[in-house]
Amino acid sequence: MLELKDIHLEIDGKVILKKLNMKFEIGKRYAILGNNGTGKSTVANMIMGMEDYKPQSGKIYLDGVDITDLDMSKRAQMGITIAFQENVRFDGIRVLEYLTLGGKIKKPLDEIKSALKLVGLRDEYLKRYVDGSLSGGERKRIELASIYMLDPKYVILDEPDSGIDMMSIETINKFIDALIQRNIAVITITHREEIAINSDYAYLLCAGIVLKEGDPVEISKYYKSMCDVCEHPNEIHLVKESETI
Amino acid sequence: MRIAPDYSKEFEKIAEAYEKSGGKADNLLDKRIASIIISGDKVIGLNNVEGVEIEAGKQDLGVWAKIRILKGKKIAMPIHLCTGFLGKEGEQRINFEFIIEDGASVDFISHCSFPWSTKLTHKMIAIVKIGKNASMTYADAHFHSEEGGVTVISETHAIVDEKGRYSNTFELTRTRVGKLVVKMDVDLKEGAVANLESKVRGRSNDEISIKESLGLNGKNAHGIAKSTIVATDQTHARIINEAFGNAPYSKGHIECTEVTKGNQVDVATLPVLKVTNDLSELTHEASIGRINSKQLATLVAKGMSEEEATEFIIKGMLS
Repeated sequence: MLELKDIHLEIDGKVILKKLNMKFEIGKRYAILGNNGTGKSTVANMIMGMEDYKPQSGKIYLDGVDITDLDMSKRAQMGITIAFQENVRFDGIRVLEYLTLGGKIKKPLDEIKSALKLVGLRDEYLKRYVDGSLSGGERKRIELASIYMLDPKYVILDEPDSGIDMMSIETINKFIDALIQRNIAVITITHREEIAINSDYAYLLCAGIVLKEGDPVEISKYYKSMCDVCEHPNEIHLVKESETI
Repeated sequence: MRIAPDYSKEFEKIAEAYEKSGGKADNLLDKRIASIIISGDKVIGLNNVEGVEIEAGKQDLGVWAKIRILKGKKIAMPIHLCTGFLGKEGEQRINFEFIIEDGASVDFISHCSFPWSTKLTHKMIAIVKIGKNASMTYADAHFHSEEGGVTVISETHAIVDEKGRYSNTFELTRTRVGKLVVKMDVDLKEGAVANLESKVRGRSNDEISIKESLGLNGKNAHGIAKSTIVATDQTHARIINEAFGNAPYSKGHIECTEVTKGNQVDVATLPVLKVTNDLSELTHEASIGRINSKQLATLVAKGMSEEEATEFIIKGMLS
């Protein structure tokens, strides 16, 4: 289990996350919902161990082990990974090299092709470069395929639908299904109801706190009716005490 | 190709050096492939094929060679140029003249290998003349010793006639540089196209100086001059990319990327664009800095160490 306990995180003196508690179990899918600026990506970056995202207080546990002070590389080696929202280019690196991290990941070619197929790309892409010759959507798909190749335990997908056309929401859900089948926990940061309602559990963030959590359909409904139209996003003092859990 | 018996031992060493630099020594003996093998100040092998005329001889401290591709001939297999120096210390001067006659087409693969030299100056001057509708590509890879005592001065002056095409790439990425001075300039006539590219990786106290210059002198001439430098440790690098738009509808683009690693590097880039015809278009891109932090984070989040990720990114940039 991956557990965030009483997290308090400030960046440049600004409080971003407050008394945050979350739990993630392997083989389950989670959605983290919230308006822009509520701290969703901060949660993702903090779990991953990005520099500047270390909590001032609170702990992160992975299967009972405190990983709060471990760096990103160590956390990744322990089975946590992330597909960042923005896909970067890698000039001169072919898709095959990227998916195998230059030969570090040793898998049969068939398995590599399956990873591509899962995200809707043909085998021919293996020879392409992960550079500006690919569209943002193609690079996003390759990023997802590379996540699949890692065999992680916990995957964070930060806005996986950004840069992909609407038609591909189905591809994302299919991709998440494939991870779940491999007993991987999938934590998806999203605004999309179509992705969130397919989760097993959802967290709704507002102003750095968990405003609501639980059934994803209900959380999505609440998000759509309250947060989508909210005129004072991230002003938690306006949220009634009774509404928070 | 036959190697003279006197040089068979020398060829073995040169072949070893050639393979170190990424070449395939078998190609040097393949009769279907035109080639020239230079060791120090001697030509120890030379092979011509139909459409190719290579003449070569000894000169003071080195070798001269004149390579002519006959009019309209399309040379199917790349011509191999192998230049080596087996001694530890010395000087080598190479003068090449390439004449690609009208309508001809040829690719060159050049390997300069000095793996055992601790104090060597290698000076190469190439004159390139590409005829109308002719095409030439020249890929030059260097392999130096790890002591850093090799000095390379490489100058190429090219003229590309109407609708001719020219590509010249210089690569020194696998070993220490030592001291490197590369100058490439090209005079492009009407409708001619050129691509000049350098990729160099500096380590320790290597010194790198590169100047690439595009003369867009004919209507509709197009050119790109691009440099990618990775500077680590105390590397000193100075890169100048120039484009001169002197003719209508000519287009030029210059680009320099310098990646730095360590706080003792000393690198600079100077893009120069000059237009004397207002229908010419010139653009440039230049960047100096550390490896992109987003690229690093993406790879480290997959379990690579920062060092592994840096190497992976650099390898891609220099490939």
